[in-house]
Formats: sequence, structure tokens, C-alpha cells
Amino acid sequence: MELLPQALADGVMLGGIYITIAIAFSLTYGVMHVIDFAVGEWIMFGAFTGYYLNKWTGLDPFLFLPVIFVAYFGVGYLIQPVIHRVLSGTKGNPFLMGLVFTFGLAIMFKGLALTVFGYYSNSIPSMFSEGAFNFDVFGAAVTIPTVRLVGLAYALAITAVLHYMLKKTNFGLGVRALAQHKDAAGLMGVNSRRTGSYVYGIYVGISAMTGVLLGCILSIGAQMGNEYTIFAFFVVVLAGMGYLAGVPWAALLLGLVQSIFMIYFNPSHTLLAVFVILYLILLISPRGLFGKGV
Amino acid sequence: MKLGFVRTLLLIAALLVACPLFAAEQKSFKIGVITELSGDLVTGGNITKRGYDLWAQEVNAKGGIDIKGTKYPVKLVYADAQSNPAAGAAAAERLITQEKVDFILGPYSSGVTLAVAPVVDKYKIPMITGSAESPLIWRNKFKYTFGTIPPINFTGATSIKTLLEMKPTPKSIAIIGSNDAFSKATAEAYKGAAEAAKLKIVKFSIVPSGQDMTPLLSAVRSMKPDIIAFGGHDEEHVKFVKALRQIGYTPKALLMHCGITDKAFTDAVGKDGDQIFGTTCWTGTAKTKSKILWPNAAAYAAASQKAFGNPGDYTQGGCSAAGIAFQVALQKIGAKPGMDEAMRAKLVKALEEVDVQTFYGRVKFATAGEYYHANVGLDPLTVQIQKGKIMTVGPKASVEAAAQYPMKEWKSR
Amino acid sequence: MNALNSRTGLLALLAVALLVVPAVVSDTFVLRVMTEAIMWVGLAIAFDVIAGYTGYLNFGHGAFFGIGAYTIGILMMRAELPFWVALPAGGLAAGITALIAGIPTLRLKGAYFAIATWALSRAIQQLALNMEMTGGPDGMRLTAFLNPQFFYYLMLITVGGTFVILWYLLERAPFGLKLKAIREDEEGAKALGLNPTKLKMQAFILSALPTGILGGIYAYWITFIDPSSTLGDMVSDQAVVMVVFGGMGTLFGPAIGALLIFAFKTLFWAYLSDFQLLYLIILGALIAISVIFIPNGLWGTIMRRKKADKIRPERVIEAGVPQEEGN
Repeated sequence: MELLPQALADGVMLGGIYITIAIAFSLTYGVMHVIDFAVGEWIMFGAFTGYYLNKWTGLDPFLFLPVIFVAYFGVGYLIQPVIHRVLSGTKGNPFLMGLVFTFGLAIMFKGLALTVFGYYSNSIPSMFSEGAFNFDVFGAAVTIPTVRLVGLAYALAITAVLHYMLKKTNFGLGVRALAQHKDAAGLMGVNSRRTGSYVYGIYVGISAMTGVLLGCILSIGAQMGNEYTIFAFFVVVLAGMGYLAGVPWAALLLGLVQSIFMIYFNPSHTLLAVFVILYLILLISPRGLFGKGV
Repeated sequence: MKLGFVRTLLLIAALLVACPLFAAEQKSFKIGVITELSGDLVTGGNITKRGYDLWAQEVNAKGGIDIKGTKYPVKLVYADAQSNPAAGAAAAERLITQEKVDFILGPYSSGVTLAVAPVVDKYKIPMITGSAESPLIWRNKFKYTFGTIPPINFTGATSIKTLLEMKPTPKSIAIIGSNDAFSKATAEAYKGAAEAAKLKIVKFSIVPSGQDMTPLLSAVRSMKPDIIAFGGHDEEHVKFVKALRQIGYTPKALLMHCGITDKAFTDAVGKDGDQIFGTTCWTGTAKTKSKILWPNAAAYAAASQKAFGNPGDYTQGGCSAAGIAFQVALQKIGAKPGMDEAMRAKLVKALEEVDVQTFYGRVKFATAGEYYHANVGLDPLTVQIQKGKIMTVGPKASVEAAAQYPMKEWKSR
Repeated sequence: MNALNSRTGLLALLAVALLVVPAVVSDTFVLRVMTEAIMWVGLAIAFDVIAGYTGYLNFGHGAFFGIGAYTIGILMMRAELPFWVALPAGGLAAGITALIAGIPTLRLKGAYFAIATWALSRAIQQLALNMEMTGGPDGMRLTAFLNPQFFYYLMLITVGGTFVILWYLLERAPFGLKLKAIREDEEGAKALGLNPTKLKMQAFILSALPTGILGGIYAYWITFIDPSSTLGDMVSDQAVVMVVFGGMGTLFGPAIGALLIFAFKTLFWAYLSDFQLLYLIILGALIAISVIFIPNGLWGTIMRRKKADKIRPERVIEAGVPQEEGN
């Protein structure tokens, strides 16, 4: 029992990581109704960009976050029209088309990354990598590594910013209108093309920043994208697709499940538990935990 | 960023130097190489490629394999197993039936080897793998498959023994392994050795590959084991060390396996890699002596450094040694390129009789028992990363530097 | 009627040619490649039943393949049953999995169904990694029976038979139309008196059975199976790509898509293996581009052109002219 506070703390930190992967992804789905298979690859590219910037300049990677956001926002902004075209075709099944298109992108990006960056794993150093917060909870020792706390803070900050943007700005109003009903929104004066581009740009920018963060907490590698894509999907589906408010809860749930399982049960069954729980929740509540999925 | 271009250029240069020999209209040994050039195991596959390439380069630089006075150069024909057993089997079939190779140098992974071995047995083409070493391969007693790296259950116990000589004597150990064939076997080898040595095993866990192990390590920390032993792959090694660092727990000894000897690991973890122990069967500074190609380990490491910017690890060395084993066996039977089935059967027999000192150590394949056709000539070594260099710290006969125990706290590095 | 006859004739010719191949081709490597190509055709058309015809994208299709493979592995190596007993059991195991998994999962829609099936297939992979019976991460070795002709014919007959049965069920019988009705408008289909739940389940099981059998053949053919090669994403991913590239909702589409993608992959692998990484880049680009420019897949686009051709105005006028010989 003395491990419980630590288990919970670890689970929350892990949940924080899952939030960073999934929150922007959920937004994109909500607005554009596309499951971006390349989310893991955007994270990977951001991570490598952070790695090289740090290597060349020696500056802490967290200082580059704004730069990386802007750069990848641009990339996303430019790519979005292509995705839009794929999704608005009258032929075929748009959802499937979007999915396969981004799947193709993901494969291409992975190949590019392997070619340019090689196949070894690496790590991004940071001033936050040292140190941890140690405290006592009812006599049980709890350690929270600084860098993971930063990750959680980042996750919550991004969530808060997105929430504010969606609820309190005109742009956000347009985004929500677009998510709800594209044509009606257009009639109300929302430029769906431009708004969609902004949203996708924001999503790619956030994902890239997340990559830098993950490179500091975990590791980077050209093939790292796949695992993150899977978890992004899972968190978002569990939260209810397009339902941003559900993401932190779903992420926390998955993080806690993993953490508790690893500590209290047979660790080799951790992923099995995660997948089974995900599957069961979907069966019981088909539109996500809160039933508010699109 | 990557040394691929440099390596390719050097290889082209080396081949150009060897070209005049080809121009002399001599036949050459056509050797098939099946390895993982793409897919999940591309990292390991490329290590084997370096090993095989370096051997071929060196042999051809000397004119080729000397068979009764005539020198036959070697030509490597690569086929990608794509980290997938079915592709490996198809690769074998292609190399054998279309490229008509004389013999085969084998894959990085045991899984692919297990799919390829029946194929080479069917066509009676000898194969040596310089990397795969799972006990599962040898237990099947494939007649035409050999391996230059001893299985982990043959080498694993050494490091536990070395660690037990530390003062104060370690009493407890936590063993963690990733849920893939090699890492799990490593963890189980350490477990067997720990049980035999009557160490208290506070935790033995197999975890899914690639996951964040922080929660598990938090639990391990509370049990305060003296030794933490871990088996995994390069990505997991980096994450493991970082996780330990993040939770602020420094065990007295951290034991991984041969994965730490790859320069990429020390590059990735920097100072945090210092004082980590590993189990291997060869290092670039091993005191080996040989008359074939490279006079000792250092010469090989230097050649590798020059060609690839990397002194090479035990997998790369094992692959070059595989080439040498073939070399020696071919010389013994006086074989020429374009061997027929009878000749190849003789080659197998010759391989079984090989007992040679190479830069890699002694190569001798077992001919019976659970290590059938695996190399049992090598002595396992315990190594430790000291100031970024791999130093051998055990067994006593091979010690290069004293083991540093206990580990220095992460914070004070 | 003419089109049908000529197409049937062509198919019959193709069937004969395929049957004769081993007698003519002695190169075992070529035989092996063809065997694998045929396998992928089978996997693609089975996948299309649930994905293309019914509109339910099963991201975990590879699980059926792996279940078939492991069933054969376990029955042959642990229970020591002969191949001919184990193989149908493999297909059955996959079918039963579809039945059990389908009951709850087919209630989900679109993206939720896709990801639930993906989670399920990953869970099955984790199971295989953790069970003693399956050998865990080490996988299983089957006793080697390396007869290229045997496996070629077995694959051919299995896939050929599957193709014929699916052709009948999906293109001749009303079943295919009913599935398409569900795909286009499930609620509307209900209004027409169809039972989507039952039909979806039938489609799901129908997609699983041949896949399980193919997995079983694969296990015996390659002699080594492990969770990463047989229960990983590879089969599912390739099936999706092949079907989308070829054209969903038809049988020829996925078949052609499978052949083309497999041919591309194999040629690259055989002759350009130094550039394997380039293959990934080209494949990804190819998929992305084909989604933009040929969203109906190759076959789908060709079919549409043909149909469009047939209703050109000039033809209508021509058709109006009485054709009198010796006018």
C-alpha cells in the first residue's frame, strides 16, 4: 500500500504525456473529421528538430518550443488544403480516404526519417532533466521527476489555451461552428478552408512541440511515431472523438491503468489490460466515456 | 548526422582497389547475406552488414581467400529479410536458386534465422549467422546452420559472478526484461544465475516492449535492490537509464547486456551511461591473438573505426568472425567457387572441425548437445562503461580495469 | 451477356494458366513469390467483404490471420494433429473469434469500430506474447515440410475457392447488394426490412474464415510464427492499402491492388534492396497520391470510365440507326 501514492503520481504523469499526444489530435478530428494517421510522425519530426537545434546551439530545447510551433504550424497550414481535398471528394468514403491518405503520409515520413536521421535512438538533454520533487504522503515516499511535472504542466497549459481559444474567441466560435455543421457555418460567414488550415496548423505545431517534450522525458527514434499514433487514437476514442473536454480524463485513466497494473499486477499484462479496458469501455459506452463523441 | 555516406564511399573505394583483381577474370566466391535491412530490426541488421562488409573488404584487400595458392575474392550479395521471417525465407530461396550463392551469412534475429534454417537445410547450403543466438535455434539441430555468438544462457552467468565479487557483497537483485525473445532470454539467464548464486530476487518482471517503465522502477526502488539487471533493445536502454535518473534512484550496480557496448548508447545517454555493467563475449580491447586478417581485437576495432567511425561491438565482430570461419573451412577442404552439393557437405564437416583463434577469440562450433553448432569457444566477459569507454572488468583473467562499485549517484555526475 | 462471357472466359483461361504454372516453372523462388502473391489476393478480398462491401473498416483484420496461424501451430505441435485436421480448425477459430468479437463490436460505427477492432487485435497480440502455449515472444516452430508445389496449389485452391464463393455471394446473390445497402444507409436499410445486425455479422465472419485458413497455411509454409510477424499490424495495414489502391466494394479491385502492391514491393526488395528505405518513401507517396487522384482505386476508376464510355451521346445516336446489311 505504501506504493499507492507513487503509483498514482506516476499514473498522473503518464496521463499528462497522453494528454499532450491526444488533445490537438482530438481537435483536428472534431473539426475536419479526419483521423490523422501521421500524428506520431509529426511528434517524431518535432522531436528530431528539437534534438538537432539543441545539438547545434547548445540551448535548452524548451527555449525552442515557440519556434518549433511556428515552423510546424506553417507546415500544417500548407498541407491542410490537400487533406481537405481528399476529404471533400464525392467519390469514395471520405473518412476512409482521409485515413488512408494520412497513412500514406505517415509511411512516407517514416521512410524519410529513417533515411535522414538513421535508426538509432537518442535523447534530448534539458535543464529540467535533472532533479525531482520528493515528498511524503502519509509516510510513503513519492518522487515526481521535474521533467515529467513540466510535461504535465505543458499538457494542462495547452488544454487551457485550447479551451480558452474555443470558448472565448471568435475564431474558436468559428471552429466550433465548423465542427458542428460545416455548411451552416459557411453560411454564417466562417471560411471553412482557412479555419481548417489554421486548426490543422495548430495541431501540427502542438504535436511537434510535444515531440520535443517527449524527447526530453523519454527518447527519440525515427520509428517512435507508431506507438504514439496508437495511443493518440485510443485516448481520443476513449474520450469521445472530437470531445476535447474528455481527453484529459481519458488520458489520466489510461495512465493510471498502466501505472497501477505495472506495480500491482503482472507487468507483462499491462498493455493487454489497457487494450481490453479500452475495448470494454467502447462497448459499454460506444461514443466514448462521456457519450459525447462525434 | 549519419555515417552511411562515408561508409558507402569507403566501401566503394575499397572495392575499386580490389577491382583489378576482378579484372583478372578470376572466379570469386559468391556469398549470400540475409539480414534485416529494413523493418523494426534495421538497427541490428545494419550492424551485421557492417561486420560482413568489413570482413569482405579485408579479405579482398588481401586478394581474396587463398585456396591452395590461388586467391579467390569474395562477393557479397545482400537480400533484405525486412525483419520478417517470411521475407527471410524468400530471401534465402532467391539467393540460393537465382543468385546461386556458394554459402550464406545469416540474419541478425533469431526469428528470421528460424525461418531460413529449414530452407538452407533443404538446399544444403551452409549458413553461419554472426548474430542470432537463441537457444531455440540450436535445439532444433539444423545441420547446415552455425552461429558465432554463443547463446545468452551460455554467457549470462558470468556477470552475476563478477558482481558477486564486489565489496560489499550484493545481496539482492531486481531483474527486468522486455517481452521480446532476446531480452526475455537475457532476463531469464540472469535469473538462473542469480538463483544459483543464492541472490535474493526482489522482483522479476517481463514488461511489454517499448513502454515507459517508470512505475515499475518506482516499485523496484522501494525494495532497494543492490543490483538492477535489465534486458532490452537500444530504445529501451535509453529510456531505462533516463527513468532511473528521473526517479532519482541509483542502484549499486546496473547490469544490462551487450547492447551497451554499441557506441550509439553512450552517445545517447552521455555521462549517465558511466558505470553500467554489461555482458558480452568480445570487446575491441580483448586480448586476442590471431593469424587471420586481423592480428588482434584492437586491429579490428581500428579498422572498423576507420571504415565506419565506430569501433564495432560484439555483434559486428561476430559477423566478421563468421566470414573468417568460412574462410578457414574453405581453405581446409580446398574448395573453389561454384561448389556442388558434395563439396558443401564437406564444408559443413569442415566447419564442425574448425577450431581457430581469430581477432574475435576462439571459434569452435559444438557438434552435440544443446548448443549444437553454436560457438562455444568464446569466454564471456563482464564489461563496464568507464568514462564513456568499454572496459573489461571480469573474469579475472581478462580484467582491464577494476570494476567501479557502487555506482555514483546520478545527481553528482 | 457478351461482357460476362468474355470476362468469364478470360478468368477461366487465367485459372488454367495458374494451375499449370508449377509444371512449367521450375524456379522455386518464383513459385514462392507467386504463392505469396496469391495469399495477399486472398487476404485483400476477404478484407473487402467487411470493409468495402459493408463499409465497416476492420483495423484488426490481421488478428484473424494470426489466430489461424497460431491455431495450426498449437494443434500441430502441441496436440500433434495432422495438418488437414488443423487447417479447418484454424479457419473455424478465426470465424468463432469474429462471431464473439462481432456481437459487441459491430454495434460501433465508423472510427469507433476501426479503433475498437484495432485495440482487440493488439490485445490478442499481447495475449500471444504472454501465453506459454503460444511460445510467448519466442514464437513457435512448426515441423518443416518444404514443398513449394504443395503450398502453391494449396494457396491457389484456397484463394480461388474463396474468390468463387465470394463472387457468388456478393455479386450474384442478393447478399452483396444487401451489404452495400447497409454501407450506404444503415437506417434506410432497416426501413427496407433488412436485418443489419445479422448481415454485418455474416459479413464479418465471412471475412474472417478465409483469412484464418490463409494464416494456417502461412504457418505451415514458413515454419516459424511469432507475435510480431503474424499478429502485428503488417497484415492489417497491407490489406487496407491493397484494397483502397485497388478499389473497394468489388472483388477485382482488391485482387488487382494486392497484385500490384505486392509486385512493386517484391521487385523493389529483390533488385533494389540497397534502397529499402526509399521503398517506404515511394510507397507512402504512392498511397497518398492515389487517394487524391484515384479515390475509387484503380479498378474502381476503370469501371467508372467504362460505364461512362457506354453512355456517350454519339453512341446513343449510333444505336438509333437501323443496322441493315446490304442497304
